[in-house]
Amino acid sequence: MKSEPRKDALAKITGKCRFLDDYSCENMLHGYLLYATIDCGKIVNISFPNDYDLAEFTIVQTADIPGENIVPEPVSDQPFLADKAVCHYGQVIMGIAHADLQTLKKFISAIEVEYEEEEAIIDVHSCLDDKANQSGECMHISHTDRNKEKTDNLKHIEDVFYTQHQEQAYLEPQGMLAEYLPQSSTMKITGTMQCPFFVKSAVQMIMGKAVKNVIVETSEGIGGAFGGKEDFPNLLAGITALLAYKSQQPVKIVLERSDDILITTKRHPSRVAIVSYTNMLTGKLQAVNIDYRLDAGAYLTLSPVVLARGILHAGGGYCLPRCEISGYMHKSNTPPNGAFRGFGAPQALFAIEAHLDNIGKIIGKSPLEMRLANILRLHDTMPSSQSMKEDHLYECLQKVIEISDYKNKRLEFEQYNQNNEIKKGIGLALALHGGGYTGNGEKVLQSKVKLRLEKNGEVQIFVANVEMGQGAHTTLAQMVNEELDIPLEKVNVQIPNTSLTPNSGPTVASRTIYIVGTLLQKLAAQIKKEINYESLEEYIRQHQQLFPQEFERSFIPDPEDSFDEKTNEGTAYHDFSWAACVLEIEYDPLQYKIKVKKCWNVLDIGRVINYNIALGQVYGGITQALGWALTEDIYKKGYPRSKGFTDYTLPTTEDMPEFQVEFIHTDSAIAKGLGEIPMDYPAPAVRNAFLQATGIMINDLPLSPERIMKAINRSTL
Amino acid sequence: MIIKFSLNGKNTSLDTDPMKRLLDILRENYNLLSVKESCGEGECGACTVLLNGLPVTSCLINIIQVDGGSVITAEGISETSLGKLIAASFTETNAVQCGFCFPGFLVTTYHYLQHDPDCDENKIKNALSGNICRCTGYQKIIEAVQLACRKLADQEHKHEDV
Repeated sequence: MKSEPRKDALAKITGKCRFLDDYSCENMLHGYLLYATIDCGKIVNISFPNDYDLAEFTIVQTADIPGENIVPEPVSDQPFLADKAVCHYGQVIMGIAHADLQTLKKFISAIEVEYEEEEAIIDVHSCLDDKANQSGECMHISHTDRNKEKTDNLKHIEDVFYTQHQEQAYLEPQGMLAEYLPQSSTMKITGTMQCPFFVKSAVQMIMGKAVKNVIVETSEGIGGAFGGKEDFPNLLAGITALLAYKSQQPVKIVLERSDDILITTKRHPSRVAIVSYTNMLTGKLQAVNIDYRLDAGAYLTLSPVVLARGILHAGGGYCLPRCEISGYMHKSNTPPNGAFRGFGAPQALFAIEAHLDNIGKIIGKSPLEMRLANILRLHDTMPSSQSMKEDHLYECLQKVIEISDYKNKRLEFEQYNQNNEIKKGIGLALALHGGGYTGNGEKVLQSKVKLRLEKNGEVQIFVANVEMGQGAHTTLAQMVNEELDIPLEKVNVQIPNTSLTPNSGPTVASRTIYIVGTLLQKLAAQIKKEINYESLEEYIRQHQQLFPQEFERSFIPDPEDSFDEKTNEGTAYHDFSWAACVLEIEYDPLQYKIKVKKCWNVLDIGRVINYNIALGQVYGGITQALGWALTEDIYKKGYPRSKGFTDYTLPTTEDMPEFQVEFIHTDSAIAKGLGEIPMDYPAPAVRNAFLQATGIMINDLPLSPERIMKAINRSTL
Repeated sequence: MIIKFSLNGKNTSLDTDPMKRLLDILRENYNLLSVKESCGEGECGACTVLLNGLPVTSCLINIIQVDGGSVITAEGISETSLGKLIAASFTETNAVQCGFCFPGFLVTTYHYLQHDPDCDENKIKNALSGNICRCTGYQKIIEAVQLACRKLADQEHKHEDV
């Protein structure tokens, strides 16, 4: 496994890399947003302050939209700008621009908006508990194994699990720069985003026929995204473009942190109810019914896609002879929930992993026995009827048990807890994560990539996938340089720009290396075969007239893959990544506080291209998951909603456990998805460790001291 | 009012509102773009600079507090031999991901190594606990600081040998 240093490291460490707020251009105006400060209701009146000259400001409202006031999404139900109705706090009412940022912000804070308030749904229980609240189409998976074993000695157990919002908390707030060039009728957008072609569609939608060309480019640096820069940039780019069009001047909007937290998308809160029937003797789950619900927020936007991934991961890494899985979306009055690393899978896996431990505790089986009785093995079928083509999940489990000394530790902690005030616990969790788009997604997307061989022997990679911190632009270059057999410094990924790069799809779904990288690797192999060179440099020197030369390749799906989107049957994902985790905690009953001490991880992500970059993804994903598991919460009961890093508590260096990470099958031909799977398993592992430490079953996240205290008080009543 | 201070080793003065944030002055008046605004309330450390030798979050400093003092940013630090050693260590362990928080980590690490170049993991964690990174899980940052400590110790040994 190689560990090439990142190409962008030095520029980022020294601050030379330009992020969006570092961009400026001549005559540039600053833009900002006026947004609703109620959760639900109608706008009755808007009054501008008298002591400002309105002519100095560019103001855009719904009437200024030449195209359509609809953000394009899988469900296009969200307006760019609110007209009369307000469906969530933070809903944008108008965009405003001025040459001076301070004046602009003072002006906006002096605008008075009168509302007629209506009752709002914020709380996860009022949103998700009543099935009648569901919106949009529900999704089902139904599966019965022909060879299911018959048994009478079944234990019936029911559980309901809840998880809360999570803010992506990328360190760089969202920002967008729009330049309108009237001569060529072109709108040029530069910004922080994961999906340049989505942003292009959004700008085309809001501008309609008023603008002929839309060009979207990412900023040089994108300061973290984690899904947060997947769909919100569509809305932000639309409004920024509208301001640039109306003012005929470049406009830049960079959100302040408090606004970024208040108005952008979050991880979907969830309610997952599981009813299961388990063989008391073997611990084998015979029948399972899973009711998986997501709080979509005020608009459905991309929630159906999250829901699909959620239900397809809801069975976890287990073979369920009979199962029924249903997925529902409910609306509430928070900003629409959107993409966040894991995309529905963390909620699903939290529930099934915790449920397995609950069953074990009730029927007297250890967490390991429960997993060994149910784990998906080679040729087993998943709920979608997809057959297991490898036994790697089982290998991950075996290995993590071995390296963590799980069995001895568990016994040791049981002893220790009898005589000590501080309690110790060890938790186990498995995860699977499907690489790339769900079902037929990649087939429809048909990603295309391009390579350009320059006269000087350099190779340029053109893809739409962005470098947002994950190391993709170094890893992708490695996949090409290794195949072409040329030095890594000769291969570079160009900054994604919709007028120069082919559409290789969005930077989401753990697909950049797995789908786009594999495509580039195949293209490079094809070039090497076609040109048939010994040394590429030598060949180019001798055939100067042929260069620069461009090569393209499109994604070809496996003809054997088929997926029925109505029944959710078939190949849900061509490849899954697998992981097993053991996690050790200490719990201080005086402070109701969990401290994560150690975290052992074994993952199968196929071929590891850059070991250090892969490790960085695992460490970072676990850390975000621990934040979700323990502290992060936007709407804490009885507190004002979080609007900064003071009241939204992110993990720091002091919260970090000791990590041990091992990858298996690293010599595989294919590199599978990695970005999301480390987010999927730490939360249930912490929860299960807490169960061992205290014997208390908490089915809600986060496991904050307040929540633990309440659960303990309830159980001792 | 006129504010005079030393910036990355050079004396400078400007006429400005004394209540303006040091962060804005550095970015807008001096084009020192390594100083990043992330949380704007002193929690995340992305805007860390050295003020009179101590790491501070420049979003919480009014420019009047800087009058007569000295400010060093990541731009200044990356020109020094210690700054280069830290940057090389961060690169070697692949500590960087999105990089937005990194100039802040560079400044804090520089201060730590200047005063107490100790490899102890807990000491390093404590010194860096005011800098938030959302990408990396901190592990490789801590490894990089330990690596930088060892490199410094090696250099000192070499000096002793001479």
